[in-house]
Amino acid sequence: MSSSTPSPDLRPYFDDLERFADGQMAPAEQEAFELRLEQDEAMADGYAAYEQLTADLRWAAGHNTLRLRLQALDERMNQRGDALARTEQLVKRRRRWATWGTVGGLLLVLATAVAFYLVRPGRARPARNWEAYYQPDPGPAVTTGLLHSRPLLGEALDQYQAGHYPAALHSLGRVSAASVGADTLLYLRGLILLRQGQGDAAQLYLRRVGDEDSTSELARRARYHLGMAHWQAKEPIEALAELRAVAADAQNPYQASARKAVAAGVLVPKD
Amino acid sequence: MSAPLAETLTQLRVGNQKFLVDFYQRSRHLFARWAQRQFKLEAPQAHALLQDTLLDFYDQVADGRLTLLPADLRAHVYGMAQQRLDAQVPANVPLPAAEASRRQRLLTQFNQLGADCQQVLTYFYFRGYHFEKMGGKMGFPNATVARLQKSTCLRKLYELLK
Repeated sequence: MSSSTPSPDLRPYFDDLERFADGQMAPAEQEAFELRLEQDEAMADGYAAYEQLTADLRWAAGHNTLRLRLQALDERMNQRGDALARTEQLVKRRRRWATWGTVGGLLLVLATAVAFYLVRPGRARPARNWEAYYQPDPGPAVTTGLLHSRPLLGEALDQYQAGHYPAALHSLGRVSAASVGADTLLYLRGLILLRQGQGDAAQLYLRRVGDEDSTSELARRARYHLGMAHWQAKEPIEALAELRAVAADAQNPYQASARKAVAAGVLVPKD
Repeated sequence: MSAPLAETLTQLRVGNQKFLVDFYQRSRHLFARWAQRQFKLEAPQAHALLQDTLLDFYDQVADGRLTLLPADLRAHVYGMAQQRLDAQVPANVPLPAAEASRRQRLLTQFNQLGADCQQVLTYFYFRGYHFEKMGGKMGFPNATVARLQKSTCLRKLYELLK
């Protein structure tokens, strides 16, 4: 059919044309339709127009698919580029810090020790604050290798260790569970939320760590932080139950810290 | 031309676009540097230009205007991009006007359809899925529902074109 002539109205034939083109007719019906195509000029024009419509549609769908794929790829490459640029900045900053870090670090340790000495709780009354018993987990070390192989995870850990918790949560949200592991992501998210003071929210994630294997190292760690998240959320009974379980678990790396918290007796209800 | 490269056009014509997507991934950075040097284009503009150029290339292959893969594909694509900029027109080596306008109109109306309809028509007419597979992909209960859904979407598109 010429593209300059007006296209015939397909509506009266649409059902038949579509069923014929999609191979939905029975053999006898198909033969009859083919015969009709040879004899009925209007129907033959309609068939040509229908074929042109579906050919154009095939082109449009392909064109659109490629456009969307290229746009999505472009966006992914932009994100990766941004993350790598931030990584470069981090590495440069780290090198600068390394030069001055030793002296600064010593001063900081000294200042911390003095501050702790001045504000430490009295021996007669044990501290009731969860933070006084909490042993934080700094997470894996952020090496240059990690920053290059998993820039988003490296960035999230770096922000977490620097105390930038909202930024760390944002970066962590862009890390794929396929590359890091679902339990690790849950654990880190719970950890960051806990440090951010959102004990309620942290519980949701920490509780799910070890759903598959509750005896894993990560599940043991998560249990300790879950106890602390309950404590932070002012749920002493649940906190005590979790910390007692950790204190009784010889393989848990937080056993000593949990024992100390339990032994202090500050979680036991007064009545 | 080596056999794998010759095969590339056939693959593109039947809808396998991986070759162009890979080309974009490999060339985006170098192309942006070239466009910056030659035309003072910022990176995002250069990226958009390369995407449009590859879409032109795909259209040429899909409708048979390009039947042989150029010996130097990179130079060919860069040349197409330059022509695009020089001519300041959206399409490079355009089809006859009536043909181009009919297709562009259909593309515009296709984009007016809902996301589900676009997906259904893409699965059937571009990917070549049969109704059963399409039903599975779209979460329809069976092939009959998929067939009816495709039919409804095609009619919607036709009504938009009328």
